[in-house]
Amino acid sequence: MTITIEDLRVLTLPLELSALLFLVLIADIATSSVRGKTFTGWLTFWGLCVVFGLTFVSPVAGEAFGGRFRADTWTLFMTRWFIVAGAVVTLGGIDRIRRMASRRQGEYNLLLLFSLLGMVLLIGALDLILLLLCFELSSIPLFVMAAIEKRKGQEFKLMLTAEGAIKFFLVGVVSTPIALLGLALIMGMVGDSSIAALDGATTSPLLKVGLLLLLSGMGFKLGVVPFHMWVPDTYQSAPAPFVAFLSTAPKVTALVALARILVSGLQNRSELWTPAVTTLCVGTLVMGNFWALGQRSTKRLLAYSGIGHIGYFMMALLVGDNTGMAMFLFYVVAYLLTNIGTFLVVEAVCGRSEDESIDVFAGLSRRSPWLAMSMLLFLLSLAGIPFVVGFWAKLYVFIAAWRAGYSWLVVTGALLAIVALYYYLQIARVMYMNEPKVKDPIAVKPSLAAGVLICLLGIVGYGAYPRPLLESARAAADAFMQTRSATVSVSLR
Amino acid sequence: MTPLSYHVQEYVLLAALLFSIGGLGFLIRRNVLIQLMCVEIMLNATNLLLVAFNRLYPSSMTGQVFAFFVIAVAAAEAAVGLAIILGFYRLRNSVHSDDADILRH
Repeated sequence: MTITIEDLRVLTLPLELSALLFLVLIADIATSSVRGKTFTGWLTFWGLCVVFGLTFVSPVAGEAFGGRFRADTWTLFMTRWFIVAGAVVTLGGIDRIRRMASRRQGEYNLLLLFSLLGMVLLIGALDLILLLLCFELSSIPLFVMAAIEKRKGQEFKLMLTAEGAIKFFLVGVVSTPIALLGLALIMGMVGDSSIAALDGATTSPLLKVGLLLLLSGMGFKLGVVPFHMWVPDTYQSAPAPFVAFLSTAPKVTALVALARILVSGLQNRSELWTPAVTTLCVGTLVMGNFWALGQRSTKRLLAYSGIGHIGYFMMALLVGDNTGMAMFLFYVVAYLLTNIGTFLVVEAVCGRSEDESIDVFAGLSRRSPWLAMSMLLFLLSLAGIPFVVGFWAKLYVFIAAWRAGYSWLVVTGALLAIVALYYYLQIARVMYMNEPKVKDPIAVKPSLAAGVLICLLGIVGYGAYPRPLLESARAAADAFMQTRSATVSVSLR
Repeated sequence: MTPLSYHVQEYVLLAALLFSIGGLGFLIRRNVLIQLMCVEIMLNATNLLLVAFNRLYPSSMTGQVFAFFVIAVAAAEAAVGLAIILGFYRLRNSVHSDDADILRH
């Protein structure tokens, strides 16, 4: 196998992202003042905007490295949404990152870009080795980002951060060998590392053990229910703009890696993995939503609600065909916009006081009506109430699962959505009914407000008119399900 | 060809043993540094498995190549992990995972 210029042309988007990464690195080295370091944040944001614009100018399609990496409609769709997530999180977090990591801001932005690069490469990977390496590239920077907070005079807060980071790291680091052992067993039974070869695997107990190990390893990274212990602790202790990123893009990345192996690689052998995924799905839906009920900390509540959402994602994966993947992608976009927006509002309300109990939201409607209104819309979208985008996302997943014969799973999911509505509306009740402790309005930085606004426009816009998103999700899902080399085409949408 | 010929079976058993030692060590020991070492043992077990399985497919080098990449991943994780453990030690004067017990409901 030789690497040609043509191969590099296929990698245009990841290369553009790498170029931005080096620009930010140079800017970080060249500046020494806190102000200069904040500039790296703006450079990251505007650079991501430029890369996002470039995806419309030069969409490339094709295969590279002997069919081990492919760029098509699917990669274009996912790359755009990952870049949007990265850009919004950078924009919303710029002020908080300046306060918490004054001279380390450049490093934080660099790590974010490294993580994004891993994600953008992973979505095009058609090889188990590449899949694992990209996944590690996207997850190792997160350990550092979780631990980057350094402020003098707040020893207890720092202890919490260090503890959340060490829990996150230990779980993340022990899940790698588990997933890897699974991959090694699968590769041993298949004889090749390409996704296309997975279909020809010999059905042996070792293959099943391998798939189970892979699922548990990825389950740790996803926070699926028996492996979720680190999620609430890390979310509670880490700064909210970082959690906005951690709770969305990396989870989607892990789900995409699983989908690549199970849904697309083993699409004709679904009896191998559906029982295990169904079990995880039901457990995650039930426990995630019930544990969220008693939480008094907003971030912990949202952490458990996020665990519950992973259950809906897995329901879409269980469908296992083109429609299921399309609904999965629609859910991905809805979840990215909604969850990032929610955590950015949490940052706006709780960021200064470092107190993130639900009581801080008391009387928010009288203090900052706009902030309360956007939080309410985000919560409704998380709960799946018409007519915000979260409603369509849940509805589409339910319809697809019902048609695939998972009617009992749909009923479970719908019942748990009602449980979820109860705890989401608890925050809404505190915001609108309770008396505020402090009367003065909350000062929100323009950058943070802009981040919230982008997410808000997204969920309301796609909620009112979901068709364009649905169509592009369908096109992306069709491209995703092709494992063998086919005429790769890309449609500009 | 029957699976697991070429005396691969012995290597699979050895890898399983190594992996279990690492896994048990990770669960039992409370020193974070030792837990990190146990993870390295687990990674080495998977490397052994990758290289051993490659004997079933003499024309391919995939397993060997993967093993090298795994070594690189392990190094990256250790570098990040030691920094995080150092940060924890500076605050708590301890590297025991039992001391990470502030965050609760």
